[in-house]
Amino acid sequence: MSLVIAAVEGSLHIAVGAGAAAIGVGLIGTKAVEAVGRNPGASGKILVQSILGMALAEAVAFYVIFLA
Amino acid sequence: MSRVTKFITAVSLLGLSGLPARAAVDASATQFELFGLPVTNSIITTWAVALALIVAVRLAIGSKPTLVPSRGQAMVESLIDGVRELVEPIVGKRTAPAALPLLLTLFVFILINNWSGLLPGVGTIGMESHGEDGSHHFEPFIRPFTADMNGTIALAVVAMAGWAVLIWRFAGPKLILHDLFGNKANRNEVPAAIYYFLTLIFLAVGVIEIISIAIRPVSLSFRLFGNVFGGENLLHGTFFAFPFYFLELLIGLVQALVFTLLVSVYIGLICNHGDDHAAEHGEDHEPHAAH
Repeated sequence: MSLVIAAVEGSLHIAVGAGAAAIGVGLIGTKAVEAVGRNPGASGKILVQSILGMALAEAVAFYVIFLA
Repeated sequence: MSRVTKFITAVSLLGLSGLPARAAVDASATQFELFGLPVTNSIITTWAVALALIVAVRLAIGSKPTLVPSRGQAMVESLIDGVRELVEPIVGKRTAPAALPLLLTLFVFILINNWSGLLPGVGTIGMESHGEDGSHHFEPFIRPFTADMNGTIALAVVAMAGWAVLIWRFAGPKLILHDLFGNKANRNEVPAAIYYFLTLIFLAVGVIEIISIAIRPVSLSFRLFGNVFGGENLLHGTFFAFPFYFLELLIGLVQALVFTLLVSVYIGLICNHGDDHAAEHGEDHEPHAAH
């Protein structure tokens, strides 16, 4: 098995980490939009919560980029 | 003469200077030495921002704050009120007066430092030097403070030190130990054997909690650094395109908000326990009764 057919070059772990972070942010956005649709009056509070959640989910992408 | 030529070349090549691959993080460039310690380009920015903030607040308020506020004083008061409204429910009414100076300072300082990268000249005016292998190395004179890992580590360490002091004073060591390691099961509802088994489990949970608390300064510093440094690189690489400029403005605000909110959540997790529950239950019943 010494014949290399194909190889993955580059940072695979950065790709996985950043992809997971993006999916996490998208999930938060989905639920936020859904919540505003159910209760439009609470959109201010939902905005604050969702931005906090998105920043926390986004941080994982930065750990992967700069720590790995 | 050659330094002046290099300087003019650097300024005139504003747009192109960001192009060399900047995925690796350069160490901050030392500008001069003060008392034997290096003063880097981001330290200069933070001194300038701190000075500007102090002068601005002093000028807005005037010689003494008055009971009927002047316009400048009303602006500062509305800023303080805004942050207080944001953190008081999280931190609890008892801790809020002591925690507010720390949180307010963190918010305003991080916000203005994040936005300092958007001012013309910050990060773009500097020295361009050529390496032997033909590589370009650009060293700006001033850089945003939060785009420097040293800066965000300092902010995170100060924030966690403030957290430690606040929870020691307002919660006390007994409450901290109970919160971390204490057995939270209800003794009357749980049989004795399971209760003692749960004590061991809660001890293990406490150890995991200690690890997670130790990670907090790391996560705080990396989140802020990554966002601001990434934004700075993006702006330099795309010639300050307008949508990215607006995005960087928004991200500066959001990251300052997130840092402040997270520190207040860490404080509130330990300090905000029984004292507010009675008030919350009282307030919860009110809207039901009104309808």
